[in-house]
Amino acid sequence: MLTKTQSVDGAAIKKAIEGRDGRMLASFYADDALVRVIDRNNPPSKPREIRGRAAISTFWDDICSRAMTHKVDTTIADGDNLAFTQACAYPDGTKVFCAAMLELKNGRIARQTVVQAWDE
Amino acid sequence: MVGDQKSSGRADAVVRPIETRYALSGDVRIAYQVVGQGSFDLVFVPGFISNLDLHWEDEGYTRLLKRLSAFSRLILFDKRGTGLSDRVDPRHLPSLETRMDDVRAVMDATGSGRAALLGASEGAPMAMLFAATYPERTRALALYGGYAHFHKWVMPPDRLEAFIATAGTAWGTGATLPNFAPGRVDDAHFTQWWARFERLSASPTAAAALARMNADIDVRDVLSAIRAPTLLIHRRNDVRVDPDASRFLAKKIANARLVEIPGRDHPIWTGDVDRVADLIEEFLTGERAVAEAERVLAALLATRIYDTARVGDRMWNERSQRFQETWRQLVGRHGGRIAGIQGELMISRFDGPARAIRCAAALRDAAQHMGIASAQGAHVGEVEMRGPPVGLMARVTMQIAAHAGRGDILASRLVADLAAGSGLHFIDAGRVTVDELDEPLAMVQATSEQHLEPACRPKARPAEPAQLTARESEVVGLIADGKSNAAIAAELRLSEHTVKRHVANILLKLDLPSRAAAAAFSARHTGPDGP
Repeated sequence: MLTKTQSVDGAAIKKAIEGRDGRMLASFYADDALVRVIDRNNPPSKPREIRGRAAISTFWDDICSRAMTHKVDTTIADGDNLAFTQACAYPDGTKVFCAAMLELKNGRIARQTVVQAWDE
Repeated sequence: MVGDQKSSGRADAVVRPIETRYALSGDVRIAYQVVGQGSFDLVFVPGFISNLDLHWEDEGYTRLLKRLSAFSRLILFDKRGTGLSDRVDPRHLPSLETRMDDVRAVMDATGSGRAALLGASEGAPMAMLFAATYPERTRALALYGGYAHFHKWVMPPDRLEAFIATAGTAWGTGATLPNFAPGRVDDAHFTQWWARFERLSASPTAAAALARMNADIDVRDVLSAIRAPTLLIHRRNDVRVDPDASRFLAKKIANARLVEIPGRDHPIWTGDVDRVADLIEEFLTGERAVAEAERVLAALLATRIYDTARVGDRMWNERSQRFQETWRQLVGRHGGRIAGIQGELMISRFDGPARAIRCAAALRDAAQHMGIASAQGAHVGEVEMRGPPVGLMARVTMQIAAHAGRGDILASRLVADLAAGSGLHFIDAGRVTVDELDEPLAMVQATSEQHLEPACRPKARPAEPAQLTARESEVVGLIADGKSNAAIAAELRLSEHTVKRHVANILLKLDLPSRAAAAAFSARHTGPDGP
């Protein structure tokens, strides 16, 4: 088990995302967490599913390896539910906007649904 | 919703062009494109020559790029001296190291800190050199038809001289095709594309110089330094690169796995592209690509030139060839796939009936511009995913096309039902008896989207005016009263859209050019029961 060095809340997520800290982000998830991504290539009826902390770590490693800026704008917390929006930009100007809904369980993220749209 | 709006726009607005940007590598500008929204980056390192724009005009290339960009953020570029990138002095061509560093420059420009690399053919040694030089930036390595030493596995010096001689005298004619894809030399369209590919990817001098430079490739020394997980794919009878080349790589790269697949055509975008894409996807995502069922629901469109006898033989040849070219372009542009040509019938396949009908309308207009007329049939049903258009569904579509008159787009009723909400308009066209079907098939005719002043009205019309429905009669009466669509809509408690649709159908049924004509028709024909 991972030592719980950081409790999961909007501020922690904002700091980790904006700091492109993949390892920190991965530590926020429960072992059997599920992240679902909905975008142009992964429609709502067949979202991309990333299961388990190992796969989620790779997912965040990949994203955090990109030299891009992330800005977490709005965070809303309600009990075990958390939501935030995120505006990202690549160095060549391409923008991505994401909205994420999270369900927490025992202080870790158990489920997350990300809806994203890209400049293309 | 947004997609719907786009696809109902003009044909050339359907597929948004991919944006080409330039990365600075030293003082040379490298052209690149980024497609896809995946969570990891995949850099495609092309082989001998490439041209970012031209790739999207070939069906196989497009298929490959679409497959790869469905699971990754795909980064494409033209090496310096080729395609859309800056030209270089052919007398002082850059080293493999310099060209490899172009990969880094493009990755920096796209903000890619770490990427999987797909090296095809001569792009493989470049990708291997990158992986050995920048292990921290290499997520994984996929090498297709690759090699570490040119003379050993591609061609010995004497054959290289012969190849360069051919390139020197016949560059730009497609003469090098048999060296790469012998399976495609009989495909006139592909041969023509290949000739353009040569011309637009490198000048003759540059091509000869590139070939000479590639001949110096020897990266055998760096193989042991590659740490990234590596997938090797090689076609068993590859005509350009000996499969032993990949067997050697499999032995020398620590973390490598080789998959040999059937086939002899060398370019990665020829042959069974899906097989290659499946392997790469499974390797990079850890998940098998969702197997495409052998049979899928699709719309088929059969297009022919109407009244071929009227066109003289020579003219026929020229125009049919030109029309065939246009057909290929328009089908691609509307998101369809060429399914094959059967005699005079050109068959294309679409994911949805609305696309097929829009493509048919564009083809009808294109034919008209060429001074010929088209006749087309569309049907929807299950078809085989791969291979030529055979089977019941294809035979039915071809029979429908045979029934179509001059300029007609005849479709089975099912097409209209499935295209509901697409904004397309259809009118009833009776029933047609089709061999192999027990009952006659209900038909519709697709009508022009700009119905009020159709640019191309089918000339073959029934002699007697078609029957108007009760509702249409009401609408004609109100038109004769000088009422606007909005006023008619209010009076009949219909939406304005529905009224427009009625008006369009009325004009078509009565073969009239305008509302005024419909009003006059109404005045002439009004009896106790209306027109």
